[in-house]
Amino acid sequence: MSSQCSDNYTGKAPAVWPAKVNQIPKEVFGDEALFEEELKKIFYGDCWHVVGHFAEIPNAGDFKTFDLGRVPLLISRGKDNQVRVFFNSCTHRGNQLEVATSGNRKEFECPYHRWLFSLEGALTACPGSKEFAPDFKQENFGLMEVKSAQFMGIIFVTMGKNTPPLTEWLGEIVPPTLSTLLGGDGRLKLLGYQKVRYDSNWKGYNDNDGYHAPMLHTAFRLLNWQGGTTGFQRMTKNGHVVFEAELKAIQNNGFVNDPSLVEFKGSDPAKGSRIVQFFPATVMVKHLDIINLRFAMARSHDVTEVHYAYFAHEDDDEAMIQHRIRQSSNLLGPCGMISMEDAAIFQRIHIGNQTPGFAEFQKGVTSLSEIPMDVKQNDETGNLPRWEHYRKVMGFKREGEK
Amino acid sequence: MSSSSLLSSQSAISHKDKVAALAPDNFTWHGYSALETQWRVERLLSRYVACIDDDALEHWPEFFVAEGCRYEIITRENVERGMPLALVFCNSQGMLVDRIVSLREANIYPQRWYRHIVSNVLIQAVAEDHLEVHSHYVVLQTRRNGQTSIFSAGKYKDRIVFQNGELKFAEKRVVGDTHSIDTLLVSPI
Repeated sequence: MSSQCSDNYTGKAPAVWPAKVNQIPKEVFGDEALFEEELKKIFYGDCWHVVGHFAEIPNAGDFKTFDLGRVPLLISRGKDNQVRVFFNSCTHRGNQLEVATSGNRKEFECPYHRWLFSLEGALTACPGSKEFAPDFKQENFGLMEVKSAQFMGIIFVTMGKNTPPLTEWLGEIVPPTLSTLLGGDGRLKLLGYQKVRYDSNWKGYNDNDGYHAPMLHTAFRLLNWQGGTTGFQRMTKNGHVVFEAELKAIQNNGFVNDPSLVEFKGSDPAKGSRIVQFFPATVMVKHLDIINLRFAMARSHDVTEVHYAYFAHEDDDEAMIQHRIRQSSNLLGPCGMISMEDAAIFQRIHIGNQTPGFAEFQKGVTSLSEIPMDVKQNDETGNLPRWEHYRKVMGFKREGEK
Repeated sequence: MSSSSLLSSQSAISHKDKVAALAPDNFTWHGYSALETQWRVERLLSRYVACIDDDALEHWPEFFVAEGCRYEIITRENVERGMPLALVFCNSQGMLVDRIVSLREANIYPQRWYRHIVSNVLIQAVAEDHLEVHSHYVVLQTRRNGQTSIFSAGKYKDRIVFQNGELKFAEKRVVGDTHSIDTLLVSPI
């Protein structure tokens, strides 16, 4: 029998969520006004956001730009080798300072009135300053720095006033998997980017679960990757999810003409797949010998842009680098043979959720009132702590809650 | 920190290298005049894009040499920064076949039509055993809602050889100006 919708559909996210913890109001994906609230409470709030990795800017003068919500950032490596994150805005009249996505500079010059900033953010020249306002002091007009912290080279920023320290925010279960994912020490070498624009809300993009992988991705089945027995899925109360899964060496079942592509040359074959999903929107993956950090930007309620950055390790020999390039250029991401379906799903999740009712989580649900913290590798319940954290940060009440 | 051998071997392109050499007006290649060679190259390119646009992808690997072929779709952004990562990278005939088997058998994606427009075909260099050919491409994409948009614009950089009376790609490097992919890239370009 089909189910019925009783209330008028408005497309607006309800202020009160159902008492059942496995029901997410679908309107949260398509509500344009809600996105403005998310910018304030999450992206500009008391939360750490991943904006890059040191290996993207390895040399003094290297920089990259990034957007946190609508806030433009400039990430620069100074002559002192320190990485700093600035607002990408001239301290004079607010002109966007750097327009390139990345590059190398001796200094940053605003073309409007030729104000000049050092790589470390100091204002070093400002033509005509003798006629500036009486209280003008050049040393007060350095670039505005954003609070940042790093873990094995991953650059985190926050604009919140009450954000907990990064180590506390990461918690205990994230660092072990994350450090292995980063080659043990984060000494990475950038191989390049695949950049993609998804017609999807950022929450749909980051709602991939442990249940879908062997179901959606036919290639996982064809390659006999069905999870194994030594894997796990763990979550933190503030919305991070960590996966480790076994990838058995493939038996050539005739599906693959050139099996060298899916060879595993790394050192930990028992756990060929590791994933860290940070709240709110960053995913990092090590799959076979691919090291892939996905820098996500929530552009609007219906567009999410993701820069898939791929890395080698600094200690790799030339053969290993070539192997990583080959795997990285073919398997994951928006052009990858084993998981490109995700891209199609992000769009369909977004379209399909512009309908009444709830996104219903089922696989692994054992209680309708308790947020599960102990789940299996292929459960979808691992996403519920993240949804609960989201609900609390956004201030949505539950039915029956005061 | 110093850059690696990997990156320095493909360092950023300097301005003086940007104007590529051009083949002379008159040459002979495997018995063909310059004009005949130009025509054969253009026919190869037209047949190649027709194969993709007409969804005859099972025949796509046949446009490449059987041994030691190389096919790559890479963004101009990565190339200009000296970064080797590609969107698609195949260096064996088996990998070409695997791409097609994967999109037919394994991958799930919304049906889209490609329409390639290829122009500005220039034979840049003529050697005994191969031609270097550059051309421009645009791929128009029509989604299921009937709307057509530009999916990718860029340049083909091809190494073409003469094998058993036919022209084949020994190497096809698709360098895309477009580096923001619209959702996903399934079919070859």
